[in-house]
Amino acid sequence: MNRLRILLQNIKRGVVTEKYPLEPIRVPESFRGKPVIDVDKCVGCGACVNACPPNALTLEEDLKEGIRYIKLFVGRCIYCGRCEEVCPFDAIHLTKEFELATTSKDDLYQIVGLRMYKCPICGKPYTTIRLVKRVIDKLPPEERSLVLICPDCREKITAANRSFARR
Amino acid sequence: MQQSLASENNVLEKLREFGIVRKATHNAFIIDVFKNKLYELCRFLIDELEAYYSTSIGVDERPLNGSFAVYHVFVSDKMSQYFLVRLEASPSHPFVKSITPIIPGADWAEREVMDMIGVKFAGHPRPYRLILPYDWPSNIYPLRKDFDYNDKYPVKDMVDKVIHGSTDYVIDKNTLEEEYTAVPIGPYHPALHEPEYFEVYVNGETIVDARYKGFFIHRGIEKIAESRLTYDQVPFIAERICGICGFTHSTAYCLAVENAAGIDVPERASYIRSILLEIERIHSHLLWMGVAFHLLGYDTGFMIMWRIRERIMDLAEELTGNRKTYGANIVGGIRKRFDISEEKIPHIKRLLNSVKEEYLKYIDKIVSMTEIRKRTREVGILSHEDAKKYSVLGPHARASGIDTDVRKYRPYAAYGEVDFKVPVSDEGDVYARIIVRHEEVLESINIIIQLLDNLPKTPLRAEFNYIPEKRTAIGCTEAPRGEDLHFVITGSENKIYRWRPRAPSYNNLASVPLMLRGEKLADAPIIIASIDPCFSCTDHVVVIDIKTGRRRKLVSR
Repeated sequence: MNRLRILLQNIKRGVVTEKYPLEPIRVPESFRGKPVIDVDKCVGCGACVNACPPNALTLEEDLKEGIRYIKLFVGRCIYCGRCEEVCPFDAIHLTKEFELATTSKDDLYQIVGLRMYKCPICGKPYTTIRLVKRVIDKLPPEERSLVLICPDCREKITAANRSFARR
Repeated sequence: MQQSLASENNVLEKLREFGIVRKATHNAFIIDVFKNKLYELCRFLIDELEAYYSTSIGVDERPLNGSFAVYHVFVSDKMSQYFLVRLEASPSHPFVKSITPIIPGADWAEREVMDMIGVKFAGHPRPYRLILPYDWPSNIYPLRKDFDYNDKYPVKDMVDKVIHGSTDYVIDKNTLEEEYTAVPIGPYHPALHEPEYFEVYVNGETIVDARYKGFFIHRGIEKIAESRLTYDQVPFIAERICGICGFTHSTAYCLAVENAAGIDVPERASYIRSILLEIERIHSHLLWMGVAFHLLGYDTGFMIMWRIRERIMDLAEELTGNRKTYGANIVGGIRKRFDISEEKIPHIKRLLNSVKEEYLKYIDKIVSMTEIRKRTREVGILSHEDAKKYSVLGPHARASGIDTDVRKYRPYAAYGEVDFKVPVSDEGDVYARIIVRHEEVLESINIIIQLLDNLPKTPLRAEFNYIPEKRTAIGCTEAPRGEDLHFVITGSENKIYRWRPRAPSYNNLASVPLMLRGEKLADAPIIIASIDPCFSCTDHVVVIDIKTGRRRKLVSR
């Protein structure tokens, strides 16, 4: 008897499966899919690289050419969205895209290359030009000069100042 | 309140007879036990305090204080306290006394310490390898701090040092009086399509004995977490310990770190954690019921359960953006994008009520079927005494008449604020396990609705400066399969010093051979499945192919 009732209920319920991939499938509003870097907004600070749990985001520097690369390899991504959460410049977003199968691994990379700023004293590139511009805008004029020098040289200068002051 | 404090003081007074007692966190004591008082202390904890043995953890504390340490964790539901019995072993002669002779449940945990840390347990009845593959070099212990997670070993060296024949899963033929046939179940399938291996010994149709061999998918995640992940990154790997109940692992990890650092999680974050945990429990139990009916040959029941479960999965996806691995937890609370907005609440409640209605319409008819009853009643019985002896946990324990539930007796997240009952059954058979889980599904729906009605408006993440070093703490949650315990020692440089998750199946699996004895072979799959085993949780390896010498990298940098 139970069996018959279950059968009737099932018939009433009808088909519940979906025809994906023959028909597109709906994803919810909060869906976390492929992250996309906004090239115009990214300054190459590397906050996302520090936060990324599986190292899908990496930071590489070509010091000879003076270019910093932020690389996103979606093949490692776990779609947690930590990068989106920590980005101070709103430059990375998770999209609703999830059909990422491809025959070429290159399709899974997003690489942002940013020109680096060279230290006027030692000539070593140490940060990106975009980041320097951003920081400069927010600082009072008297503190700007120190930001424009790489951390190593800055240390030397402050150390020299300190010993001078002591004398 | 005063009384409980007084009794706590009495207990402490008594404990001081056995060793040096110090408070680790608000809910845990560390007892540096005197060497000759170990057994007395264990008996005191179990008999007098009604505590049960939970797990053992080995820690390489040489960089901290120059010795190895072993922690035996005892849990007292009555006092809502954890007692960490700490034993020290000198690096030159790393031996401690085994507690397996008096607590059989400690068997695996002690062997794991022997494998991973290299502390030997004197008096252990079966001191064989458990986790490491049999071709692993005998003098290399992966969880010691001098073993780098990216270490490569010269292959030739390694092959020379290989030890052979230290297996214990082949039964000793002399112990069996009658003739037997060995039937292998695995290394894939019986229950949940995961790698594990049961060797079942049968006489005709009746099972005489069984052995379990697991840990095929140990991935060394503790090592990765200790070596290269920061506090905020670990929840995401913790969540990937299990594909079914991952969120409970990341919650337990976060609770452990929060306990260690004394962080007060904002109420709203606790509520949302509890809501997501209960959603996970419902989907896990429905999934299990589906698998159980499938194993009983009742595929209609399997389809129905999974169809209902699908609606819960859709709910999870709507709330978190993912069907599984929600990724909501972070040390100190919940991430911003996982907030539950006011507009969603009525919708969630409507959905839960309609799921409940649909579920009830089917489940009563299914469990009252003669075939289901005949296949599950008085099958795979685990007695109350055996359940206690092996420290089984969760619905498995509750079906054997043990009234235990972390949510009720050691409330975490928002479970202290809600009203729910803990279903307990005395029969101890497979049917009892179905009924206990069935009632838990209804309780979970009830809990979520209560939580949604009272969702407080507070921030989502606590503010804290830094996490202090060298603190030991325990985080514990009630996973769908039982008590999920995470042990943490905090470290420097925003990294954890030692982290050990202990999933409930670790304790529950040890009871499977007991349940199989005397049963019919055809019932073996449902008996194994009845504990809802989760092998991935139990396993946590560094993989080396001995023939080619290729070492599979865990993480590329």
